[in-house]
Amino acid sequence: MSRIQNLAREIWKNRMVYTLLLPGLIWYIIFAYGPMGGLTLAFKTYKASKGIWGSPWCGFQNYVYVFRDPAFLASVWKTLYINIGRVLAGFCAPIILALMINEIPFNRYKKIIQTVATFPQFLSWVVVSSIMINFFSYNGPVNFILSLLANKTVNFLGNEKIFIPMLYVTEIWKTTGWYAIIYLAAIAGINPEQYEAARIDGVTRIQNIFYITLPNIMPTISIMLILTIGNLMSAGFDQVFNLSNAAVRDVSEILDMYIYRITFQSAPDFSFSTAVSLFRAVINMVLLLMADRIAKLLGGEGLIG
Amino acid sequence: MFSFRKKYNKVNLLKYSRFDIVLCVILAIVMLSIIIPFINVIAVSFTSQQEYLQSSVLIFPKKPTLRNYYDLFKDGRILIGYRTTIIILLIGLPLNLILTTSFAYGLSRKGFPGRKLIFYLVLFTMIFNGGVIPMYMLIKELKLTNTIWSVILAYGINTFYMIIMRNYFSTLPESLIESAKLDGAGEWKILFSIILPLSMPIIATITLFYSVDRWNEWYYSMIFIRNANLQPLQLILRNIVIDSQVRAQAASSGAILEEYKFTNGLKMCAVIVTMLPVMCIFPFLQKYFVKGVLIGAIKS
Repeated sequence: MSRIQNLAREIWKNRMVYTLLLPGLIWYIIFAYGPMGGLTLAFKTYKASKGIWGSPWCGFQNYVYVFRDPAFLASVWKTLYINIGRVLAGFCAPIILALMINEIPFNRYKKIIQTVATFPQFLSWVVVSSIMINFFSYNGPVNFILSLLANKTVNFLGNEKIFIPMLYVTEIWKTTGWYAIIYLAAIAGINPEQYEAARIDGVTRIQNIFYITLPNIMPTISIMLILTIGNLMSAGFDQVFNLSNAAVRDVSEILDMYIYRITFQSAPDFSFSTAVSLFRAVINMVLLLMADRIAKLLGGEGLIG
Repeated sequence: MFSFRKKYNKVNLLKYSRFDIVLCVILAIVMLSIIIPFINVIAVSFTSQQEYLQSSVLIFPKKPTLRNYYDLFKDGRILIGYRTTIIILLIGLPLNLILTTSFAYGLSRKGFPGRKLIFYLVLFTMIFNGGVIPMYMLIKELKLTNTIWSVILAYGINTFYMIIMRNYFSTLPESLIESAKLDGAGEWKILFSIILPLSMPIIATITLFYSVDRWNEWYYSMIFIRNANLQPLQLILRNIVIDSQVRAQAASSGAILEEYKFTNGLKMCAVIVTMLPVMCIFPFLQKYFVKGVLIGAIKS
């Protein structure tokens, strides 16, 4: 009895905290957990007349259809293929840039580079794609220089062989500067005595980078890696969707574009789409938890708990 | 740290080695590769279609013209986009801030029953989310499709930003709150006259992040809003630049009349008009964005 009374007293004492939490909590319940309830549709046959809750259950029937669709399996592999390449390119580039910026002896120059390099991150992929489509078009500067040097032009964004590397290039162009800032923030937190000691020992700058700077930003690197791996299944929609066109459809249909296509472009079967969505969400979660576990095993810091 | 850096540099002043020079040159190339695409966009936006088709415009058109801008605003769609985006920003941003700040502050307080549970509930949404299809179904059930409320409400709290904010609140000394309580200040008074004024840097940063997100929003509106008069700026840009590109490539002869309405110059005008606000404020506010990263990095 007294325990319940105590609890009630505690809750009353903290009534202001609950009042503050309430609006956000309502939002989370409706707009984050509400859709999760909708995921039950993956195991139902959707009948528009009966709504999500009234539609009859059908077990794993939807998944039988999903795994029979060759376009689905192909999109899973394409997603992994594209995003693993992106992890390699988009993950290493910022570290290298941060290390380079950090070594620059002129503070003003440093600031200018940071401002310029972070800017593209704050544009949407719609804008960035438009810029890139212009830049790599037949009349654009790249093809102009190519035609002068090699006397030929390349359809960069309309060629299946070049399209995926183009994804890496544009990804690096947009995000490198911003992620470099994150590493620079970590570098700024390194205890300067370490460099002082190294200087007395006559260590070269290259050695400084490998023996002091890099080991010190390892925790940040591992967290960024967890986040990137956790996004292997879901990353890239904005970019691929805006950069791709009919000519590269065969190489560019990643899982999210597949979901978009089956839901919004043909006659939609919401149960089927939801089944694919749930599959994607589960794989995502598994990837994230796995990456987190691995990071902890390697002695880095985890993301969760 | 920074004073040490300077000393470190002075010691090496004589050795401004080849290393430094190579580094500066590499970074200059990096910078140019970021700037040149922008310059090219600006140049094309001032180029007439005839000149564009005759030769490549690199840095500056031979006969600059304002014709494209005139056509763009006469078309008027971009203005509709501006209007919608500004409405979404005006309603959505305060909503983001109220929800995020109050929730983050609530979570930063210690020792109330259910704190752990709420924290894990929120964390779970970061690990697991159903994606866009269930969201679309929900918005449909709520009868919000084809209203800007769908876009405004669907993006209420960004859990990353919320956690950054919570971490900041947690760094404020507990003794501050205790002593204010001893002085007889109520909880609300503490929040509004002590906590919030002290948290202005993080609130400014998060405001910027949310503003940029709202400005750049296109995906939810593409899915939730079919009404052309309610489409935000980015979506209209997408329709102008990318869709016409796709269609032009599909009909490789490019003979569809409608495509010619959108000359390349016109498209690039639309790009510039869309990114102009971000471009104008960014150099002045860049340090606040970076501050957000620094604060976020403290915890992790």
